[in-house]
Amino acid sequence: MTNWTLFAPELFMLAAAGLFFVLSLSRPQPARDYAVARVAAAVGLSLTAWAVGAEGVLFAGTYRVDLFSQVFKVLITTGFFLVICLCAELSGVADKRHSEFYLLLAVCTLALMLLTSCVHLLAIYLALELSSYSLYILVCLRRGREKGLESGLKYFIIGACASALMLFGFALLYGTGLSLHLADLARELPGRIHEPVVLIGFVLGLSGFLFKIAAFPFHFWAPEVYEAAPNQAAAYIATVSKAGGIAVLMRITAAAGAGGDQLVGFLMVVSVASMTLGNLAAIAQQDLKRLLAFSSVAHAGYVMIAILSFNAMGLSSGVFYALSLLVMKLTCFMIVIQVSSGGSNIKINDLAGLHIRAPVLAAALMLALFGLAGIPPTIGFTAKLLVFTAAVESGYLWLVIVAMINVVISLYYYLQVLKAAYFLEPKESAPPVRVPASLNFLALVLIFLTVAAGIYPRPFIAAAQAMTFGIIG
Amino acid sequence: MPGASVISETWLWAGWAAAAAPFAAFVLILFLLRRRPGAAAAVSLAAVATSMVFALCLLVCCVDMETPLRSVVTWMISGDTVISAGVHLDGLSLLMLAVVCGICLLVQVYSLGYMAGDPGFARYYAFMSLFAGAMIFLVLAPGLVQLYIFWELVGLSSYLLIGFWFEKFSASRAGKKAFVMTRLGDVAFLAGLLLLLVRGGVMDIAALSNGAAGLSSGMITVSAVLIFGGVIGKSAQFPLMTWLPDAMEGPTPVSALLHSATMVAAGVFLIARMFPFFSQSDAAMTFLLAVGTVSMLMSATMAMVSRDIKQVWAYSTISQLGFMLMALAAGGYFAGVFHLFTHAGFKALLFLCAGMLIHAFHSNDMFVIGQGGARGLKIPMLCMAVGAAALSGIWPFSGFASKEAVLATLVSLENPAWLIAGLAGVFLTAYYTFRLVFIIVFPAGRGQTRAEDPARGVAYAYGAMAWPVILLAFATLVLGFLAAPIRHWLAAGAGAHEAVHGPAWLAPLSLGLVFAAIAVAWVEFGRKNASQTGFVERVRVVAELFARRWYLDDIWGWAVSRLLDRGAAEACRQADNRVIDGFVHSLAGAAVASGRVLARGHRVMIQARLMIMFAVVFGLTCIMLIWG
Repeated sequence: MTNWTLFAPELFMLAAAGLFFVLSLSRPQPARDYAVARVAAAVGLSLTAWAVGAEGVLFAGTYRVDLFSQVFKVLITTGFFLVICLCAELSGVADKRHSEFYLLLAVCTLALMLLTSCVHLLAIYLALELSSYSLYILVCLRRGREKGLESGLKYFIIGACASALMLFGFALLYGTGLSLHLADLARELPGRIHEPVVLIGFVLGLSGFLFKIAAFPFHFWAPEVYEAAPNQAAAYIATVSKAGGIAVLMRITAAAGAGGDQLVGFLMVVSVASMTLGNLAAIAQQDLKRLLAFSSVAHAGYVMIAILSFNAMGLSSGVFYALSLLVMKLTCFMIVIQVSSGGSNIKINDLAGLHIRAPVLAAALMLALFGLAGIPPTIGFTAKLLVFTAAVESGYLWLVIVAMINVVISLYYYLQVLKAAYFLEPKESAPPVRVPASLNFLALVLIFLTVAAGIYPRPFIAAAQAMTFGIIG
Repeated sequence: MPGASVISETWLWAGWAAAAAPFAAFVLILFLLRRRPGAAAAVSLAAVATSMVFALCLLVCCVDMETPLRSVVTWMISGDTVISAGVHLDGLSLLMLAVVCGICLLVQVYSLGYMAGDPGFARYYAFMSLFAGAMIFLVLAPGLVQLYIFWELVGLSSYLLIGFWFEKFSASRAGKKAFVMTRLGDVAFLAGLLLLLVRGGVMDIAALSNGAAGLSSGMITVSAVLIFGGVIGKSAQFPLMTWLPDAMEGPTPVSALLHSATMVAAGVFLIARMFPFFSQSDAAMTFLLAVGTVSMLMSATMAMVSRDIKQVWAYSTISQLGFMLMALAAGGYFAGVFHLFTHAGFKALLFLCAGMLIHAFHSNDMFVIGQGGARGLKIPMLCMAVGAAALSGIWPFSGFASKEAVLATLVSLENPAWLIAGLAGVFLTAYYTFRLVFIIVFPAGRGQTRAEDPARGVAYAYGAMAWPVILLAFATLVLGFLAAPIRHWLAAGAGAHEAVHGPAWLAPLSLGLVFAAIAVAWVEFGRKNASQTGFVERVRVVAELFARRWYLDDIWGWAVSRLLDRGAAEACRQADNRVIDGFVHSLAGAAVASGRVLARGHRVMIQARLMIMFAVVFGLTCIMLIWG
């Protein structure tokens, strides 16, 4: 007997997607679509928050509702709600496409929610594809289609290749007689991870998730997609979709037990390459969204450190890192969206004089950049501290040192952005930044979160520990 | 007992609220009320009054409890070390809380009159709230880390207030001087703190005091002396004393606050708070005794020659703080803390009276004030006389009781030199105090007719300034008789049982010295046709020595300019230019160049990207398999 109440948030998101589908058939009315989207996202968020304590197993054991998945669902719907809040001026997308835009966002959110709960490799694969396909189309929705279409196609091709690798890996695992069910896998895998076929299967199986969080070498889509996607869609990809990717990656790697030298070695190379490449390439960027894309690649590297530590601390720090990324990246994209006029892309220098044009946004940007660079007392500092502590606990001191060097490199380009916002004189021709009161309020909330979780992170850490305890049933 | 725990819970909440209210006012004023001076003052006053009410409730209800109440939340865990934040309520912190809140409240009321019409009125009240909040959290701190954080915050807010009129060069310079000199001491404090953390792993004051950290005696001495460094900076003791007289550049109410219950009191409070810990090391206590004595005598001599009314009180603050440190170092826990309380009362009183005179006569020079006809202003003059009598230690004013307790502790020491130094200090204190009083009350040439009416220009909000002064004068009268209950409350915390009254000859002797000093001052400054030059000023070299502050400023100036600026800084600059800059530049260049190359690499065709993707994944797995 299936307990459908456990599935209520997902069902609601499905219904919301259906509603947008109906709306997309009628005459386009952007204001109506926006209002509906906000209500839907708010209801979805409260429904997910209500379902936090739920526990249970659905659909013949392939779908597990536990604290880990429920909290990640809250993160995902929160991100979804905030991205919707930033859609007041969705000028990067043609008016008649707005309802489709919300439809795809809702479907993707649904897919990411499923992703956090799936405990069967095939179900995970399906959820991952569903979320990716909606994103491929979202990228193409950019007004003035050519560039968006090209990047969307590239995104699709790289994603399809990554999926192919992943499916191949799953097939190898299945071929060696392993179960595709995570709980069974967690029992058998730690003993057999040293077998070549199992190792290759597992590593290839990770491809799809590495693609999702834009880790090396599956990061090639990130800069172009960020640049070409509508700003709001880019914000969604950078925050919500990352959180879903981190969640599923943590669940899968947790099945590998203590890891095994070769797997850890592989993940280390991925981690070091991601952060070094991301940070170095970000230095040379002028377009703010491209810069944020490379910074995402670098942060994927830091997240990998948490994952490859293969200890309890690593898991909880990974959750905390996902939260911090969500808060900080969302703040950055809020500034991108508000400063850009007509949904265009902005260069770093377009931020000139932001502290006069929009003081609250500038302060939020400053704290978010400090957080991304890991400067105390921000949430980003605490997140990095936790991740590095986890790595040291597992004895990977040199990895932490490499990461520290990377943090220093990253400081360079984050401060470049900050310099533009605070020390450059605004251009005469710079269009005014209109910030509605609600967004100022949102910025203040984000500032508060950034600082509060940096100074007093204990409740968040405690929650993360509770979530990751018994992550594999 | 569930009932008792509910009640103690309530008290702890009251403690939290008392501390949080001024901070809330600070944030509110800074962000919302900067252009509304009236509302800002109202918010600030309401906040500090709230704190005051909570403090009084706590004092009435909790001061008798046997064990301290604590509410602690874990702030940070690093390895085995737990760093906590919270409130700690016991006799000492509650009394201090009441004193801090009371004086902050009175000073803020007084400021309504004194600062009226100042363009930075709202900013002033914002900083005042910050000051009060930081000090309250410092007083309630259960652990050293919290204490240190708010210790620095107190320093920061005093910097902001001393340099409040920042458009005045001397004011901003005095603010900087205060900040840098106290920071110098704080470096030592921080070093001591880290030493305790590394060696003992405990930051809780109670745990440190009962020896739970298991530190060796040598380690206790070293860390105690380092922590004294912070006290020396904060409480303006030798050799970091010269920032305090310069801090007069701030508005006078700020000086009153700075000199009585907040900034400088923090140093003495720290010693009292950690008294059991420091008592474990005799060497450290002797060091403290010496520092206190030297500062006490040295600054008393400086006060003998100054013409600036506020500076005299400033030197006297240093001197009285030296007294407190002497008492504490000699083992007189109650004597030191009691003198801290009484001093807070009468020193605030003296500064606020001085502020009224300065406000009326637009001059800091006591001769000018005297000739301007200050004796016509009845309230400030009477109250100042009360404060001066208390400062000199005349019965029945509060200073008498506390000073007698201090001297009684000094009597119990083996070496009589300390007592003699203390008595000399008593004599000098009475002398410079009444020198100032006589100069103002009996100005030279008083036989002549005064050109102007004394009440001239007193058209300010007299009431706002007069009432706090009268209340403080009343407190000065009463506080001396509260010695017994205060001693009882404090004893619960420290368990110190020292003499309050010395041998029978002590009180007459000290009173005799006081009256002798007053007589000397009368002969030189008070009587008709007095020359109005003190005996010190007749010897030019000594007068010069005292007036130049024993050349301490010159020594510091030389040290900074020669050793730091030209020596160390220059060497560092050279090294920086040649070695570090060159290295860093080439590193940064390499990073940027490789970034460009990598970024260009990301613009290749999709086929190449997919090739790289597959190659890396398969290559890596193969390498791992072979290598593993």
